[in-house]
Amino acid sequence: MTVLRTAAEPEQPASPGSPGGFAAVRGFLRKHETTFWRRGTLVAAIVPFVGLTFTIIVIAIKGWPAIRVNGTYFFTGSSWNPGSTYGATTTVKGVAVPQGASYGAWPLILGTIQSSVIALLIAIPISIGAALALTERLPKIVARPVGFAVELLAGIPSVLFGLWGILTVGPLLARDVYPKISSAMPNVPILNFFKGPTGQGEGLLTSGIILAIMVIPIITATTVDLFRQVPPLNQEGARALGMTDAEVTRSVTVPWVRSGIIGASILGLGRALGETIAIAMISGAILGHTAQNIYSPMTTIAATIVSQLDSSFTDATGFATATLAEAALVLAVISVVVNLLARLIVNKGNRLGVPTGK
Amino acid sequence: MNKGTRWGAKQLRFAVPAVIVAAALGLAACGSSSSSSPTTTAASSTKNASLAVIAPPTSSVALSETGSSLLFPLFGSWGTAYTEQHPNITISTASTGSGVGISSALAGTANIGASDAYLSPAQVQATPSAMNIPLAISSQFIGYNVPGVTGNINLSGSVLSQIYQGKITNWNDPAIAKMNPKLTLPNLPIVTVHRADGSGDTFLFSEFLSAADPNGWGKSIPYGTTIAWPTVTGAVGATGNSGMITACKAAPGCIAYIGISYLAKAQLAGIGEAALKNAAGNYELPTATTMTAAANSFVNSTPKSGTLSMINTKASNGYPIINYEYAIVLGTQPNATTAQAVKSVLSWIISPTNGNASTYLTPVGFIALPAKTAQIAANQIASIH
Repeated sequence: MTVLRTAAEPEQPASPGSPGGFAAVRGFLRKHETTFWRRGTLVAAIVPFVGLTFTIIVIAIKGWPAIRVNGTYFFTGSSWNPGSTYGATTTVKGVAVPQGASYGAWPLILGTIQSSVIALLIAIPISIGAALALTERLPKIVARPVGFAVELLAGIPSVLFGLWGILTVGPLLARDVYPKISSAMPNVPILNFFKGPTGQGEGLLTSGIILAIMVIPIITATTVDLFRQVPPLNQEGARALGMTDAEVTRSVTVPWVRSGIIGASILGLGRALGETIAIAMISGAILGHTAQNIYSPMTTIAATIVSQLDSSFTDATGFATATLAEAALVLAVISVVVNLLARLIVNKGNRLGVPTGK
Repeated sequence: MNKGTRWGAKQLRFAVPAVIVAAALGLAACGSSSSSSPTTTAASSTKNASLAVIAPPTSSVALSETGSSLLFPLFGSWGTAYTEQHPNITISTASTGSGVGISSALAGTANIGASDAYLSPAQVQATPSAMNIPLAISSQFIGYNVPGVTGNINLSGSVLSQIYQGKITNWNDPAIAKMNPKLTLPNLPIVTVHRADGSGDTFLFSEFLSAADPNGWGKSIPYGTTIAWPTVTGAVGATGNSGMITACKAAPGCIAYIGISYLAKAQLAGIGEAALKNAAGNYELPTATTMTAAANSFVNSTPKSGTLSMINTKASNGYPIINYEYAIVLGTQPNATTAQAVKSVLSWIISPTNGNASTYLTPVGFIALPAKTAQIAANQIASIH
């Protein structure tokens, strides 16, 4: 049975699945297309905003008792002491707290920043190099599979990187690489952070290296797109003036997209700051003090939240969970600040004398 | 392009209330957790309940279990076997950790919470109808990776306490050598490994250190599923018992506390098993014999609530770290049918011919509840309604 209907015809109940039903639905959609377009896009625009607001409000409220009790010690202190969860409960500033509980998140905050910075220091040069190779150097027949591999790398679940790190990379580095770096470094400020016991491969440097591998595809993919946008005329002009390939890259290609590269790096930084499971596996997961040297076990805010969540539920006062919420809020604030800084840098970069050629 | 397809002020006016609604939702979500009216449960009858398996309800019931990763494999085999006998009752199991097991059971989102640790006094106070029902007895071994050493290294709680405080840092320390006259221990730095996630094993281990070193560890570090570990150079945190084994295997010189079910896996990884000094001064390995000896010494002190720490037995051949594995259950279930199903499953588990048979317990290294404790558990189960 085929019934042709015009949009003006009154709605008739049609069994779903029958051709008549499809036609009716299609007619209805077509008739109200503009309404759907307007409302649909409005909803789509509101959902992310509402999601962000909702999340921040919830963790802020959940964390409020912890914010009041922990005070500034949370940002300066190092002890992560859940207190006597099986013992007495005391009341601090009107909040029920297990006796002896005191939470200082400084090692977590510092660990988050240190591991992310190490990751970026490794990832940015490699990513830019890879992007240049893909766009400028390699023949298409090689560039295509390499580019594909970089994109695939971005899609690998982080738990695989964690497993790889703890089973292979960490022990290998600890056995063959770290001791050599440690003994070769001079005992002067900054570089002496590279000296001392090298451990078993679970720690800050291993975390930074694994994070770098996770961040490289993000920065590379974005940077490749940027390099493709550099007008060939400018590059050819520079070559015509007698510049070598290296000089063209240094003085034309890279400056053209400098602010874009910063933006791409910040994208990577965002990933590194929030990475959880891989870090929980390879950081050595040590609470209570900051890393003594670059090989020491440490932990980050995200890894601590995931590893401490279960035991926080055994704190009947709920203070441990509130503290994790506070830590989550700190992580959210760090991410937002980093993103705002990135925008500032990108905007500033655009105003400076970068050739625009428009 | 049609101008009408872009948002004007009219559309954006809807966005503002939407955000306010979101904020209100956030507030509502937070407010709901605070109200829990105390419910009183009838005190368990003085008469002892029957130890026979309670018949399940005739209608179909789907029960949920969540919690302890140590109990998870056992609960899986228990659930499968029980459902084979009683096809109308299904049990979904989940390995989420003891903390989630306790909180889910107390919140009523799971029928049975599995936990290696008993409820804290504060939790019982907050949810008076909650019970911790002993299901079986587990243990923990102290593993180490010391190349070249064959045979079991003898260790005591006070030495372990000093190791985990960073006061004993090498395997050739005189304190360790003194209790191992037959072994030659190498000059090898000790790497302490502890659980980074919350764990019933941390609970047991810290209880043991507190009991064995009451004036040192016991005074400074309260026990719990997560504790404030003293700063020790090179110390490593690991996630889960498997993570403990991986970390220990990777680090020669390591020492780790691991749930007894993982003994076979640890041995495959080349990790040794320490003999622990008990209160009588004997060095014991966690075997069915030493665990049973320890369990029997605690039977008469097990209270009606089942809440008991079984650390540092006085039995001369008892292993010093054993514990009851618990089901965390609300005494008041949502309806009679669910209550009947929960009672049936739990009574089946503690039955020596069913869930507490060695076919289930031996593969994971657990032992059955002593008869008196099983009676206490049966009384608790009978009071569920």
